[in-house]
Amino acid sequence: MTAVVDRPLDEPELVERARRGDFRAWETIVRRYQGIAFRTAYVLSGNAADAEEAAQDGFVKAYRALGRFRRGAPLRPWLLRIVANEARNRRRSAGRRERLALRAAVEDRPGDAVPSPEAALLAREARERLLAAVERLSDDHRDVVACRYFLQLSEEETAAALGVRRGTVKSRLARALERLREELS
Amino acid sequence: MTELERRLLALEIAVPEGPDLAPAVLARIEGRPFPWRRAAVLGIAVAAVAIAAAFAVPQARTSILRFFHLGAATVERVDTLPPAVERSKTKGLGRALPLDAAEDAVGFRLALPPLRERPEHAYVLGGELASVFLHAHGQTVLLSELRSSNELLLKKMAGDATFVEPAQVGGSPGIWIAGAPHTLTYVDRHFGYHQQAILVRGNVLIWIRGPLTLRLEGKLTRAQAVELARSIH
Repeated sequence: MTAVVDRPLDEPELVERARRGDFRAWETIVRRYQGIAFRTAYVLSGNAADAEEAAQDGFVKAYRALGRFRRGAPLRPWLLRIVANEARNRRRSAGRRERLALRAAVEDRPGDAVPSPEAALLAREARERLLAAVERLSDDHRDVVACRYFLQLSEEETAAALGVRRGTVKSRLARALERLREELS
Repeated sequence: MTELERRLLALEIAVPEGPDLAPAVLARIEGRPFPWRRAAVLGIAVAAVAIAAAFAVPQARTSILRFFHLGAATVERVDTLPPAVERSKTKGLGRALPLDAAEDAVGFRLALPPLRERPEHAYVLGGELASVFLHAHGQTVLLSELRSSNELLLKKMAGDATFVEPAQVGGSPGIWIAGAPHTLTYVDRHFGYHQQAILVRGNVLIWIRGPLTLRLEGKLTRAQAVELARSIH
């Protein structure tokens, strides 16, 4: 007797189905990547409403561009590129970049020694100084720092999201870190 | 990895919880009329009623430059705002009723954000519009709700110095109004004005949730208003 196993479709199958007009396959992809898409758009725009619109428009445009998506290529960097482009377009048209903020309370991790209130305050101030220095960078430098460290994207994904070569990511990152060291010294 | 890179990795950036994008994305790729577009089409039909209402009162006889319509709300871009009165905190909101009685009066359960305690009272206008005061981001915010299909129309008029932009709340369409003061008038779709225009100095977010049109008014930024609106169920 053969058991019928309900297995989740892998990504290339989902993409192929979506390409043939299977909306439910695209829905699965949207739900799989909407978290990182929204976070990417938010970190680039600093605005939740713009990020939501950018991520939504990005998924719609990506679906319509599936015919141009190279079979077998990783989907996530391609999606992030479209969403990031939408977010940066909104930032440009708004003529401003909203500042990011630190989380209100950083939870203690198990095993961490509990800092004194004074030490916690100093650590918080140091983190805020660092974030303020990142926000003072040029858009190109700030975006590469945000993608690599805040979103923890790989070099390849950062290059895809920002629409530049990997070499450009490396050189921008080196210059951004140098600028930050100067600012903080 | 350098010490600076370690510190950058350890920064914990506040990122709001992302919305579920799938319903709106699917609606758009399936070619179903997305609520925003449907609202725009509906707006053309309702525009005639709103124009008639605007011209029914001489003081409001001003050039209407553009329309936005959403659910039970219409926003008109005008060259001159009509005469309007300042609203005291609760005047013009209708009768104060215990929350349950207010819900009975309007015939629907009020959508609210997660609260430790439900508000004791709501204000009910014309048996159609219910309003409650909320506290969010250190501000007092007015939340108003009515059925999109009701006869009552929230009519806003905005001049050049007021931003009127499309917005989205968890995949639902909305309108964000900010900047210079604008006016609010409750209009009966068939019989004209309900009351004199009120000057609104805060920012306003209007959005659709199921059969309801909701409106938030207060000194919130767009992101704060959208975040609060998303939590209202």
